[in-house]
Amino acid sequence: MKNNEQMFDFWKLLEYNDSMISQEKLTILTESAKYDVSCSSSGSARKNAGGIGNGYVAGCCHSFTPDGRCISLLKILLSNDCIYDCKYCPNRVSADVPRVSATPEEICELTMDFYKRNYIEGLFLSSAVHKNPDYTMERLVLVVKKLRTEYNFHGYIHLKGIPRADERLCREAAKYADRMSYNMELPSEQSLKLLAPQKSKQSLLLPMRQLTQEKRQFVQDKKKGLIQGHFLPAGQTTQMIVGASPEADGQILRLTQALYRNMDMKRVYYSSYIPVVHDALLPEVGAGQLREHRLYQADWLLRFYGFTVEEIVDEEQNLSLEFDPKCAWALRHMHLFPVEINRADLAQLLRVPGIGVRNAHKILQARRYTRLTFEDLLKMKIALKRAKHFITCDGKYLGAKNDTTVRGLLIAAENGENAVQLDVFGALPKTNEQKIMLSTRQNALMALTGEL
Amino acid sequence: MIYFFEETEDGFLTAFLAAFQDERALFAAENTQLVLGEERVYLQTDSLKAEKARLRLQSFDRECLSDLRLLLRCGKTDRFQVAFGYLKAVANAKAPVRARLADRAVFIAMEYVKKVRYEIHRFHGFIRFMETASGALYAPFSPDNDICDLLVPHFRARLPAYPFVLHDVSRKKAAVYDGEHVFVAPLTQAEVVLSAKENEWQGLWKQYYAAVNIPSRERLKQMRGYMPARYWKFLPEKNENASANR
Ligand code: SF4
Repeated sequence: MKNNEQMFDFWKLLEYNDSMISQEKLTILTESAKYDVSCSSSGSARKNAGGIGNGYVAGCCHSFTPDGRCISLLKILLSNDCIYDCKYCPNRVSADVPRVSATPEEICELTMDFYKRNYIEGLFLSSAVHKNPDYTMERLVLVVKKLRTEYNFHGYIHLKGIPRADERLCREAAKYADRMSYNMELPSEQSLKLLAPQKSKQSLLLPMRQLTQEKRQFVQDKKKGLIQGHFLPAGQTTQMIVGASPEADGQILRLTQALYRNMDMKRVYYSSYIPVVHDALLPEVGAGQLREHRLYQADWLLRFYGFTVEEIVDEEQNLSLEFDPKCAWALRHMHLFPVEINRADLAQLLRVPGIGVRNAHKILQARRYTRLTFEDLLKMKIALKRAKHFITCDGKYLGAKNDTTVRGLLIAAENGENAVQLDVFGALPKTNEQKIMLSTRQNALMALTGEL
Repeated sequence: MIYFFEETEDGFLTAFLAAFQDERALFAAENTQLVLGEERVYLQTDSLKAEKARLRLQSFDRECLSDLRLLLRCGKTDRFQVAFGYLKAVANAKAPVRARLADRAVFIAMEYVKKVRYEIHRFHGFIRFMETASGALYAPFSPDNDICDLLVPHFRARLPAYPFVLHDVSRKKAAVYDGEHVFVAPLTQAEVVLSAKENEWQGLWKQYYAAVNIPSRERLKQMRGYMPARYWKFLPEKNENASANR
């Protein structure tokens, strides 16, 4: 197949020419945006209303990069030309890097042409603080408004808000975006002061709160039939960098819980710190991915398992790396176990290590017809490796005889899984993680041979 | 007995009725190895009978026909045998059997259905359109299962103004949306003239793909798990010649 020179359409070329972004610009603006974790395109059922695009409620991955991450959205900055000086950021004002800004047309054309070819599910747009917060936010709003109204684009748009911009701009943006996020970045005011001096907790929480309240109002009004249209159908998310500053997991998760409760956050993302910039104030090594993994596990307990953060971890403590947070909780509460599978209510089932939300419901359903035995659980494909130490089935108990052995076996189970996960993560940088793995494996061995 | 039949839903259902009592029924697919000494029967499609079978099956389980339709799309050569086993289970139970996973026939059938569904979902993401000089979009691909027309509703809903062709190059057929109608047609090789800017946009996409990766976190095994190498041929970001070789 070849390009057909005879088909050369002069007018079409003119129309395209000034708004096709250059490879260099695209590279710089992408490189700067890629450390944002969120790439989810789920949660919006926006319909096509003439024009191009719609939402895909379950989300959709279009490609996967060699780092194992999914490409769902075109993740890009409008500009990397920043007046702020966040220590960990390669685009901070004091860094000597090439500065570029894209025009709104360049971003719009890029989004449309990528979308049309089914490369992406939509746009994830953010920006460095260019000139000043209002100017930057205005430009961002201009892009999303253009996309929706001039280009008739109905695909997914995630917009990262600029702190300290005028609240009217924030409101305007929410009319066009499916999701917005203001990243907490760091889990405490002190760390923000130290590492992101121009941001403050207040400057981040203020617009979040504004959007939360306006969305609640919008939902009410829509129910009453007073208004139509959209207001952030996929809600808000936020992200914290873990390991760049000294906060413990307990503190991070307390913030998380508050965000879910008070701000109706859809997701809180955790991004284990990757050192891109060298600075005396920053650690030289990145945070382990196991820590990030544990934070996500605890996050799930908060959202879907009815746990409160107070049950999971003390404020100054980190999560155990040896056990997943639910196991750790169960081991501290052995007096509540074992529970009888045929009698336990949903809340109790959800607290059994190794039983997830789906399996808990499966059990509730199945036991209406029969008294469940261990064989039945196996037939239902419910893994018992962890669960068996915490349940009885029709009065029978198959777990270990004493708590110490349970501990040892759970560590062994965990290591089996982490071995697989480590493999998945590929070559890990030499962090504490590997040392920890090693030590737990030894612990497990000792436990098995009865020395622990 | 080996059953030969037209590979359509009606053809299959005709054979299903004929074979229902036969404990050793073998359903011939394109390249079935003929078992020596086994009797053969060639069946003429009977749409009336097929319709009767449909109604009867539906009375047992309203959803089983949509399972069947997906099963018949499966790329495995024993799909007809599996579909036969599944419908037989439905007919014998006179009720939905979907959840009876301890029954081997049902289990395999559900696995195949899942495979087809999953591949449809995957290709909602992995389809890559090229823009042709006329503005129509063209996507060659090579799915495991026969799904090109099943992808149409998704793309039609989001790109209503763009005519497009989803070309299953290994089955030599294409699902076509001409801006108004949808149809399936045999298609061996497409004569495609690309738009003036197509290669540049593909270049930008490859550039984007390279730039968004975090090299220090390489996890190739995971990438291959999510996006198996057999799909790469038609992904510009994974294949230097994706546009040139077709
Ligand atoms: S505001 Fe901070 S994190 Fe954002 S681009 Fe500027 S320096 Fe980087």
